[in-house]
Amino acid sequence: MIEPLSRKSYTFAWLGLLGLVLLNTLIAFLNLGPWNMIIAVGIATVMASIVAGFLMHALYDSKVVRIVLAGGVIWFLIFVSLTLTDYMTRGWLGVPGK
Amino acid sequence: MSETATLACREQFATPEQQRETSSIGMWIFLASEIMMFGGLFVAYSVYRLSHPQAFQEASAHMDILLGSINSAILLTSSLSLAFAEHSAQAGSRNLLAIFLIATMLIGLAFLGIKFTEYYEHYQQHEAPGIWFDATGPHASGIQMFFVFYFVMTGLHAIHMIVGLGILFALLLRTMLGTFTAEYHSPILFGGLYWHFVDIIWIFLYAIFYLPGLHK
Repeated sequence: MIEPLSRKSYTFAWLGLLGLVLLNTLIAFLNLGPWNMIIAVGIATVMASIVAGFLMHALYDSKVVRIVLAGGVIWFLIFVSLTLTDYMTRGWLGVPGK
Repeated sequence: MSETATLACREQFATPEQQRETSSIGMWIFLASEIMMFGGLFVAYSVYRLSHPQAFQEASAHMDILLGSINSAILLTSSLSLAFAEHSAQAGSRNLLAIFLIATMLIGLAFLGIKFTEYYEHYQQHEAPGIWFDATGPHASGIQMFFVFYFVMTGLHAIHMIVGLGILFALLLRTMLGTFTAEYHSPILFGGLYWHFVDIIWIFLYAIFYLPGLHK
């Protein structure tokens, strides 16, 4: 059986999430060049982990659940890295005759 | 064997815990397939953002950051309300469960109301690709591409919200019929998984559409 978290823990998770939205929005007002997107997605990932871990009980559900979740996330990372490796490096080498 | 099958332990399962775990894994596999669907859109967005950096930067400044931030807070609050609903279900309190389910649905409707207000604003400002789109300057086509992604991705998210409201409504009806008890309430947890997952998608949509346009 999943042990329910207390309402207090859910409320703390919610306050933390609201704080991270605020932090993410404030940081976005600074011009950090390419770091803006990296930080925005990084903070979003932390928020997503809080939602998945606590609100969706992934941290204390059965192991198979975490394997399925990891499967989805790792699939996505492979997809992103292979696709962007292609698109980001297309201009690096000159093509003879072009 | 004269044991009768119950909702908490149907006849094909050995124990209620086995049934709950089986359903939980099924729900998570469905959510993993949703990661794949939204994942394709996120990757397509990244590819176009890398090939039209200035256009996407410019277009992102057209987002309404106030409504976007309010919507983020609203959606996170709906998740908290649903977590309270799950908590009430586990405690076997049917009235509280119904109240929190209704609260979650109302907060979800508020999100959709604000979202459609934003869509209407974009339409008014001629930012609806394919229907009414005007942009001038060197980045016009890239800006249009940004709005294509914006409408497709937030639109798919909004459809998920509407489906989620339907699921919550079905759960509310079953709550009122007295189906759920402290021993059997796993559908509330699995409906909740879906709702929280849709929340996660919004967290990323907010980060890639609204935030990049804030700095000058």
